[in-house]
Amino acid sequence: MQLSTNSITNSMVSATVKRNNVICAVLILLLVCIAAGSLAVGKYPLSLEKLLAGDEMQRKVFYNLRMSRTVVAVFGGAVLGICGFVYQTVFRNPLASPDIIGVSSGASLGAAVGILCFGSAAAITASAFAGAVLSVCLALLLSSADKTGKKSTIVLAGIAVHALAQTALMCLKITADPERELASIEYWIMGSLASVTSSRIGGNLLICILITIVLLFLHRQTILLSADEGEARMLGVSVSQVRLIVLLLATLAVSAVVSLTGLISFIGLLAPHIARLITRSNRISTMVFSGLTGGILLCSADILARSVAQTELPVSIFTSLIGVPLLIFLTLKGRNMS
Amino acid sequence: MNKGKILSACGVSAGYGKNNILHDISFSVGEHEVVGLLGANGCGKTTLLKSICRIIPYNGTVEICGQNLRQLSAKQLARLCSYIPQRSGISIDISALDVVLMGFNPELRILETPNAAMRERAMKMLSLVGLENRAQENYSSFSEGQKQLCILARSMVRECRLMLMDEPESALDFGGRYLMLDAVKNVTVHHPCSALVTLHDPQLALNICTRILLVKNGEIVSEIEPEINDLSEMEERLAEVYGPLSVHLCKGKNGKDQLVLIKE
Repeated sequence: MQLSTNSITNSMVSATVKRNNVICAVLILLLVCIAAGSLAVGKYPLSLEKLLAGDEMQRKVFYNLRMSRTVVAVFGGAVLGICGFVYQTVFRNPLASPDIIGVSSGASLGAAVGILCFGSAAAITASAFAGAVLSVCLALLLSSADKTGKKSTIVLAGIAVHALAQTALMCLKITADPERELASIEYWIMGSLASVTSSRIGGNLLICILITIVLLFLHRQTILLSADEGEARMLGVSVSQVRLIVLLLATLAVSAVVSLTGLISFIGLLAPHIARLITRSNRISTMVFSGLTGGILLCSADILARSVAQTELPVSIFTSLIGVPLLIFLTLKGRNMS
Repeated sequence: MNKGKILSACGVSAGYGKNNILHDISFSVGEHEVVGLLGANGCGKTTLLKSICRIIPYNGTVEICGQNLRQLSAKQLARLCSYIPQRSGISIDISALDVVLMGFNPELRILETPNAAMRERAMKMLSLVGLENRAQENYSSFSEGQKQLCILARSMVRECRLMLMDEPESALDFGGRYLMLDAVKNVTVHHPCSALVTLHDPQLALNICTRILLVKNGEIVSEIEPEINDLSEMEERLAEVYGPLSVHLCKGKNGKDQLVLIKE
């Protein structure tokens, strides 16, 4: 009995590990191919020959613009995917996303303040990041008034902060110059990687990488939070503290991404669903696949955003165009959405 | 039979908001005991269990293995107690094996993951409840009864001193009920632990539990020890909660005595 149970466990675990390794390799290969495509696509034609020959213009475009843009698309998509997984698991809601606790609306408000008061790209990024973090801190502070620590209180506080930020944003839009500032605010909200340059991404990238590593290490605790609060507590989880840490980390990472790119729709929602479709479960491999899928989706959408028209289009148009059919497919398939 | 107290509750009152459900309840559970909590719907059985799990606040004193419940961290409490809720709140896609492995969390550090020995133990528990061939299947696709068996496997994957179970058999078929509670009883016989179980089936309680606490309007009104009390005493005490009934002793085909309950 002991032997047969051991052998069943080992064979099942090794089969799952083998399958996941193959899928992981395929996803990484796909991501590398799409990232390579992203390096090649753009208004300014690049040639490998000139680049290797040390052409100054070619080098500037490649390293300052294309490389940094591709890196942000890959890592930004990965972070949105992983954080989407975290939000959906912690809130036990397949439609949960960073919006649920006010990240996006806070970032939009921060970006609007940056556009109206400072104007420089770096200041807009910093202001959007601060807006996102402040709005989430406010949501968590409001929710702490309820001593029971229910996650529904966090959602309600997030809705209140979202409404508040939207109201403030509307007031700022009214005061904005319609020709220049209002257009910039609207364009920022639609999301684009056009303004990403190598000089702006260092700090945000570091935050994203560090938090992603910590979130991956915390995957078991995140999945335990998907149980009822009392049940999770009786499994030895300090529910309120762990949930606060996980949500705060995910929010910081998302803030670091959206402050660079503007709002990007659907990646955080869809990537985890696609990953679950692959793994048919919620475990660390699902989290990793959410990241890889997020990177693939955002990088693909960004390639389309700068290649289908004469002028560059907002990336969210394409994330939605890719996302909506996938969402319909997933809904019809009936998986992961219950 | 009792070697030492595992659970001791003294003057426990609890409720939801201003609605007080439990009134000054005191009882204890000793080693090797399976103690059943019987009573009508809304009498306070689940509230009592939730108080002991610290899911809801309570007044009074609760001690587990001599340690004050209020002074225990979530992890310390989980090391001492396992808990089966009426319905598990897990609603994400997750394999049955991963659900059982959750039971090891109190033994693991925050960043640690279950090892091979833990996986083997989890498989053994799944095998005990008849789910070993479905270990990699999605827990969410299981029937409610299979989910309960899976949660039972999770609660027994570690040797806790106290198993708290809130109507664990409610979704199970006739055979499943006896399988579950026999497994629990077996653990309490062979290990220095005990179980506190809320039940809705008094006949099952009479045949499985070593002691039964009868709860009415938030108070423990009487107690039954099926191996000690005679049939008329049991009838009289159960009637306080369920109205007129009779208890009969029957012999099964295997020669084992069984108590049968008839509502009069």
